[in-house]
Amino acid sequence: MTDAEKLTLLRDLLLDEDRNFANKILEKVDTLTDTVNIDEKLSQKVEPIISRKLTSFVEEIPVKLGPTITEALSEQIKNSQDEVVNILFPLLGKMIKKYIQSEMKTLSDNINAQINQKLSFKYWYRKIMSFFSGVSEIDFVLADMAKSKILQLFIIEKGSGLIIARYSNTDTIDEDLLAGMLTAIKSFVEDAFIKGDQNLELIEYELYKIYLQNFPTYYISAVISGKFDAVFKNRVENDLFDFANKHIKKNIGNKQYIEQKLKEYFINA
Amino acid sequence: MLSSKKIVLVGHFGVGKSSLIRRFVKNSFSDDYLVTVGVHIVKKTVHIDNDEITLIIWDIEGKEDMQKLRPSFLLGTSGFIYVFDATRESTYINLSDEINYIETHYPKTNLLTVANKIDLIEKNIFIKIAENYKLKIDYYSSAKTGENVELIFNDLAKNLIK
Repeated sequence: MTDAEKLTLLRDLLLDEDRNFANKILEKVDTLTDTVNIDEKLSQKVEPIISRKLTSFVEEIPVKLGPTITEALSEQIKNSQDEVVNILFPLLGKMIKKYIQSEMKTLSDNINAQINQKLSFKYWYRKIMSFFSGVSEIDFVLADMAKSKILQLFIIEKGSGLIIARYSNTDTIDEDLLAGMLTAIKSFVEDAFIKGDQNLELIEYELYKIYLQNFPTYYISAVISGKFDAVFKNRVENDLFDFANKHIKKNIGNKQYIEQKLKEYFINA
Repeated sequence: MLSSKKIVLVGHFGVGKSSLIRRFVKNSFSDDYLVTVGVHIVKKTVHIDNDEITLIIWDIEGKEDMQKLRPSFLLGTSGFIYVFDATRESTYINLSDEINYIETHYPKTNLLTVANKIDLIEKNIFIKIAENYKLKIDYYSSAKTGENVELIFNDLAKNLIK
């Protein structure tokens, strides 16, 4: 064995580990070079990171920038009210115009429908009244439409707010929740005004009035549309007392009976 | 048979009353804490054998003392669920007095006691704490994980139709 061969053998023995390590590094560098240079590989690595960052960025925008944007917008609107009005006016104008047109059409259709019901008693009644009084038929129809109507009636147990019986033309609200909330509001108001036996009687809700008539163990809630004046209130009050006396007093547990009677009694109210 | 019953959840503020109700009614949970102001009412119908029972659930604002609750909100209640936070000693330290108050003032009602937020504490450790305080606990629950939530309301409903 020559000296050179001995040296090679010695180098192989001594530097084998380092060489392996160097080879591994070279392999990794190659892989990284491939990843950076080949678009497909690079996108596989980078896309999930960008996607994650973008998602969290989108989620964070409202939290981080929301208040600043809102404040900036408020300030801008405050400082440039005329410009805002100029921009919004045509849009709002159009919306209001459209809404009024649609409501006027509905009103006109309703009036026409009522005037054209020639076979009804109301039609002839209006004709005769109009003829003798000089008031136009349309005015009679309008007055008729503004009349107070009982839309829903609930007999509600005091305290628990559970419904004893109900009468309703519509299914638009959850009656159990309404009864519960009415009871809670009623309790709250009556507790707040610590003046003995005073009761909450009326709640106004946009176009509706909710009239509450109290009895010892329950109360009746009537949802009313139209004009609610003293005359109508008096009529409802009398009707409710009369109904309670005739039908609820002796049938308090008989839900079916009370609901049937409610329907019969108030269907034309 | 179809019937409706009023249920009220009581307990200190922040013990998870609203979260338990939300988990039961909507099967959801949120970590955001929203204080209940006044009262919030929801309902859910449960079926027990051949009976159908509508639970009208009153979620009233939390108070550290039952006596501070508005009595009119508690009238006509068929079942109480007293909720406390297993991680907050102040919410259960007076538990026996609170239970005593309910049993004295509303004797004909059903009452269940619930240790909520059990996911945030080692259950065995809390059981030892409960033994020390001699707490009467009917259920361990977590509105977050849903543990026992359905069971609590269903068992109460069963008690109500007995």
